[in-house]
Amino acid sequence: MEPVISVKNLTQRYGTGRLIYKDLSFDVPQGHILGLLGKNGTGKTTTINILMGYLKPQSGQCKIFGRDITTMDAATRSRIALLIEGHVQYAFMTIEQIERFYAKFYPRWNREAYYELMRKLHVSPRQRIQSMSCGQRSQVALGLILAQNADLLVLDDFSLGLDPGYRRLFVEYLRDFVKSEDKTVFMTSHIIQDMERLIDDVIVLDYGKILTQQPVKQLMDTFHCYQFDTKTENIDSDADLLNPSVVRGHGEVFSFKDADEVKNRLQGQGVEVTNFTTIPMSLEDAFIGLTGKY
Amino acid sequence: MIKAIFYKEWLKTSRTFMVCLVLGLAVAIYADLGINRIVVNKGVDHVWLIMLMKDQMFIDALRYVPLLIGLAIGVSQMAPEMSNKRLKLTLHLPISSEKLVGLMLLTGLVELTMIYCSIIATVFCYESTILPHELVCRGVLTALPWFFAGYIAYLFATSVCLEGTWRERILLSLIGIGVLTVMFMQDAPEAYNSMIVAVILVMIAIIALTYRSVYRFKEGRQ
Repeated sequence: MEPVISVKNLTQRYGTGRLIYKDLSFDVPQGHILGLLGKNGTGKTTTINILMGYLKPQSGQCKIFGRDITTMDAATRSRIALLIEGHVQYAFMTIEQIERFYAKFYPRWNREAYYELMRKLHVSPRQRIQSMSCGQRSQVALGLILAQNADLLVLDDFSLGLDPGYRRLFVEYLRDFVKSEDKTVFMTSHIIQDMERLIDDVIVLDYGKILTQQPVKQLMDTFHCYQFDTKTENIDSDADLLNPSVVRGHGEVFSFKDADEVKNRLQGQGVEVTNFTTIPMSLEDAFIGLTGKY
Repeated sequence: MIKAIFYKEWLKTSRTFMVCLVLGLAVAIYADLGINRIVVNKGVDHVWLIMLMKDQMFIDALRYVPLLIGLAIGVSQMAPEMSNKRLKLTLHLPISSEKLVGLMLLTGLVELTMIYCSIIATVFCYESTILPHELVCRGVLTALPWFFAGYIAYLFATSVCLEGTWRERILLSLIGIGVLTVMFMQDAPEAYNSMIVAVILVMIAIIALTYRSVYRFKEGRQ
């Protein structure tokens, strides 16, 4: 089956300057939730802007539902629900007005889903969105996304401004919605612990390149954090010893290699280690292990 | 869908529309009262005499009002689209961007036409009760370029607001100021009669600038 999103050899720069990434390629199959992770400025929002046709890539090809995004027609757009970074919506409208407005564009509009989420907001349906708090505005934007009942959801930093309870509620609601209705999701978020509950596949971007691209479960099974005691102050980083650090004799290193191999590699560098242990990781730990703390 | 677009545009501009309508009518009534004062003090024949001999049309108060109204409607309609790059939401709607921009501009132009017609009706309906048809027409033709300038100001305001880069915004603003200056260079009544067709063609050409701004936005020039 053709993937819902197909990106081939995408290359993009900031203007004519710094390379954001080169030859970025990935597919998002139907029914999958893919999370794009990366530090600030690694090109997450840029990728969404390119996919949605708001930015012309320097080179490469992007297809959504088999259609080149440069010639995306209205019918294809109606199958995509888009959450813009910052949960931007028509703030001059009220909760009622914005629902009435969008309902006219989408034949599968689910009014109930929208009002079900709005009831949890404890605001008047006639309240203008611009007079709401940042979190409430985000909830309105997310309610509209779900009501659209689209085949593909593109969510840029969906957890921005949401309080923990609503974040958890939304993540559960979204996962249930996506899995029961065979929807596809392409998303970014700064709060990686939310992504862990939600995504099937992950792409981790660094400046100018992809660090890893695989199913989350596979990443969590194959990527490890090792901690140890050592008298060495500096450990050299390489492809198998990622982001090593030593603080007051306590060392840490991340790797896709198993414990014995990492120990051997460290000893090969002349690093004597004791109390070498494998530490259980969350997706956020893995992200930091791949990208570094700074 | 079309109704929904009109609805959104109306929600953005309704307050400005009402303020502009009241302002326009207030200035129109002020112009009527000015003429009426002369009629009461010196008789209607004095008004005729000044209009014919001194090229005075007694509607100078209106001169820049359509321009200001055009700018106000244009900015109130398009500035919210560019705040937080909200235009992305609009362009994501399942409707072709050409049709979408066309409907947005149509809403603004219809609103302007409603306000302008109200002003023209207020001034010239009163004038038609005291002046011959020829003088009323002369007044309408004298004021017509000011209203065209209002449409042009609106179209430039939309293209500037929807443009994503400051360099282009400044360039478009300077072109706009240049075109509008030409529209106010002649004070004599009916000075622009021979140019009305050209002015209409310029207006149509300026519509392309708004589309250009939107295409540039879609290409990522933000």
